[in-house]
Amino acid sequence: MRAYLSYARGSFLSGLAYRSGFIFAILNNLVYMTIAYFLWRSIFGDNQTLRGLTFEQTFLYVTIASSLMVLLKTWTDWEISWNITSGSIIMSLVKPLKYQWMMMAQSLGFCLMNFLSIVVPSLIFLVFVFKIPINTGVGLLFFPVAIIFSFILNTTIDYIIGLTSFYTESIWGISSTKDIIILFLSGSLIPLQFFPEAAQKVLKLLPFQAMYHLPLMMLVEPEQTASSYLVSLSVQLFWVAVILILARLFYNRAVKVLRVAGG
Amino acid sequence: MKRLRHYFRLYFLIEAQYIKSKMQYRDDFFISSIGMFFSSLTTIAVFWVLLASIPDLAGWSFNQLVFIYAFYMLAISPFQILFDHFWQLRFHVIEGTFIKYYFRPLNMLFYYLSEMFDIKGVVQLVLGIAMFIYASIKLQVSWNLPLLLLLAATLFSASLVTISIMMIAASSAFWIFNSWPVLDLARRLREFSPYPMTIFDGFFKILFTYIIPIGFVAFYPSQFFLGSQSISTAVYLSPLIGIGTFALAYWIWLKGVNSYTGTGS
Amino acid sequence: MSLIEIQNLSKYFKVLNRREGLRGAFLDLFSGDYRTVKAVDDISFSIDEGEIVGYIGPNGAGKSTTIKMMTGILQPTSGKIEVNQLEPYSNRIANARRMGVVFGQRTQLWWDLPVIESFKILKEIYEVDNETFKQQMGLFEDLIEIKKLYPVQVRTLSLGQRMLCDIAAAFLHNPKVVFLDEPTIGLDVSVKAKIRDVIRELNHTQNITIILTTHDLGDIEALCQRIIIIDKGKILFDGPVQRVNQLFGVYRTLKAQIFDFNQETLPRLNALIQTKFPDPDAVHINQSEDFWTDLIINQEKAPLREVLNLIMSEFALEDIRIVEISMENVVQRIYDGALL
Repeated sequence: MRAYLSYARGSFLSGLAYRSGFIFAILNNLVYMTIAYFLWRSIFGDNQTLRGLTFEQTFLYVTIASSLMVLLKTWTDWEISWNITSGSIIMSLVKPLKYQWMMMAQSLGFCLMNFLSIVVPSLIFLVFVFKIPINTGVGLLFFPVAIIFSFILNTTIDYIIGLTSFYTESIWGISSTKDIIILFLSGSLIPLQFFPEAAQKVLKLLPFQAMYHLPLMMLVEPEQTASSYLVSLSVQLFWVAVILILARLFYNRAVKVLRVAGG
Repeated sequence: MKRLRHYFRLYFLIEAQYIKSKMQYRDDFFISSIGMFFSSLTTIAVFWVLLASIPDLAGWSFNQLVFIYAFYMLAISPFQILFDHFWQLRFHVIEGTFIKYYFRPLNMLFYYLSEMFDIKGVVQLVLGIAMFIYASIKLQVSWNLPLLLLLAATLFSASLVTISIMMIAASSAFWIFNSWPVLDLARRLREFSPYPMTIFDGFFKILFTYIIPIGFVAFYPSQFFLGSQSISTAVYLSPLIGIGTFALAYWIWLKGVNSYTGTGS
Repeated sequence: MSLIEIQNLSKYFKVLNRREGLRGAFLDLFSGDYRTVKAVDDISFSIDEGEIVGYIGPNGAGKSTTIKMMTGILQPTSGKIEVNQLEPYSNRIANARRMGVVFGQRTQLWWDLPVIESFKILKEIYEVDNETFKQQMGLFEDLIEIKKLYPVQVRTLSLGQRMLCDIAAAFLHNPKVVFLDEPTIGLDVSVKAKIRDVIRELNHTQNITIILTTHDLGDIEALCQRIIIIDKGKILFDGPVQRVNQLFGVYRTLKAQIFDFNQETLPRLNALIQTKFPDPDAVHINQSEDFWTDLIINQEKAPLREVLNLIMSEFALEDIRIVEISMENVVQRIYDGALL
């Protein structure tokens, strides 16, 4: 455990090394919030609610979604891809640690860095400048747990994408396709309520909504009962299990390429 | 003139070799093209989803939005295809490999950019052309020679605006090394340029028109062709503004190149 | 006529003072605490056409900063620098046309392309005419049998082959001056010898000036007539290599691992040496990494055999090694006044 945490600490510290980057990353998030504000205000026009959401709820949804996206952007897929193409994965495989957990620990360190340096400043801005009230009910207790599940889902998907480097020269294509799919189908760009009914039914069956939509609704909809929170968490847990199993199966396959071809 | 011919020949020579070496990884090219295809369609999908809930977006219909977006795709294609190496600038600066661009008797911006050519950007260009034709037909834009010339002028200018914004962002690597957050910010701003500028008011309208001129990448220039009733002065500026922004961007690039020291002692 | 003219050249950098640990890293985010580093501090020298000059010094001495000024990358803080009667910084392109560069660890060839394609591109870049191109390639074929490497992708070349190709590429356009930075780094002895031969040949046949920076004293001995030693931004020595050679030649470093090493070992060893060789320049003792003790021995004043016998009479040695004096030690000796 200590060994894995040292990886988290390492990635946390190396994130700090580039000191001038944060300002732009925060700015990036704030620009998004500002544009989203104008865009959604224009979309709502005179309507009190659209698709059962008020403007305030929608705006909270999309801005928290954007911050969550920043939080989860840990480049784990690229890191693994780099490890594989440069051959430095050998150095990781000879260590008495599980590669997947090493990568997850690194991702965690990155996440914490993102949280402190980008997400917290943006949230302060959100609360004070846009004066958006954040749900302070029980939802706030369940939300962090839901975020942990989102983190595991996200990092594990990144892990699988990274491992495809055993087969291709660059993961740009597959990684950006993944980014787009998650962006669009998870609710992180547009709340899922705005999709046509039929599309919503399909999206509810996919793992992506478990990454963004479910946790976000815990903040946005204050009148949920405790049991509905638990239902959301179980759905997430189900997908976590599925993705972890897939990752294990894929790893066993992919690493054979290394064993056979010598990297 | 002789210089120019020399540079053209070199460019094709270097690019041809680059493409040849990239073609060894055919699978990768196909996967990347698919990725490009999907990411090009995201904004259109957003418009489509939004317009399922509301009749129009700030007064613009779906087809009009498609037209503006197609204009945007055409305007960013030159950047995407020819200026792709900017994304790597930070690695060259951090690892000190940028130094090699000083050693050749060539313009450095030219030599640097000639080393990469984004084949998958062609996918974007083709998709952009297809959408542009689709939207023109749907909106019954009646093309004639003056209008086509205006289209060429506005597209050229809009391309230069995109290139300039990204060039300034990439050049920041010379001072802050990790320019990724800056490039990412610039890209995010650019991605919002096909949205109607009329959703903004006051300060932000001025910001996105005159300070970070993303309005000129697609929204303002496409007003010429959409038959809008109220054409603002910004629209008339759009064929000209590109040269100015590019001059500024090139000046910043030169500043950066001259202040670079390389790593180590 | 001198090809490179440097007078009172200086280059200063501003560097952020970084702090340690997590807290330090956070504080650095808001820090404005800079200090000035004098990478090159008021140096002067001139280099004639056709010379091979070794430009050496320890890491961080200011070598690459000087090279970067000569190649037109860096603007000097003050002083004058002229290469081919041109100021490199303000005439970068004209200067680049008449120089070649090899940076040991980084190839300037196109990584994914066959060797010959890189040469074709370089031919265009430097506008080399067909006849010169043929003639130069012919020369490389004789010297390094480059022909059989033509179809090979650069990434698959061995380090030695790649270095030879890089060197050939630097000479392709008949430059006036070639900068070679660590051309033999990481290569084994036979390849090193080959590379030195090639460099010497190219210098001879084409009368091209070569500025060589290296950590390998063997390169200097094999190639240079003249050597400039720089440390902490200042020139320590500028003169014929023979003088320095005589000096290096007599020095050896004896590395010894002493059994049961403890606090008293070093004082005892010092005292022992002092009694037998009172001259301070005869034997120098340094505690180096881990369990090794370094004795830098001037063989003229203290024969190696005698020193070894002396130590073995008093200490039990687990292991010994005898190596040539290192660059850091050379500089140290010069500071101590060995050349004066």
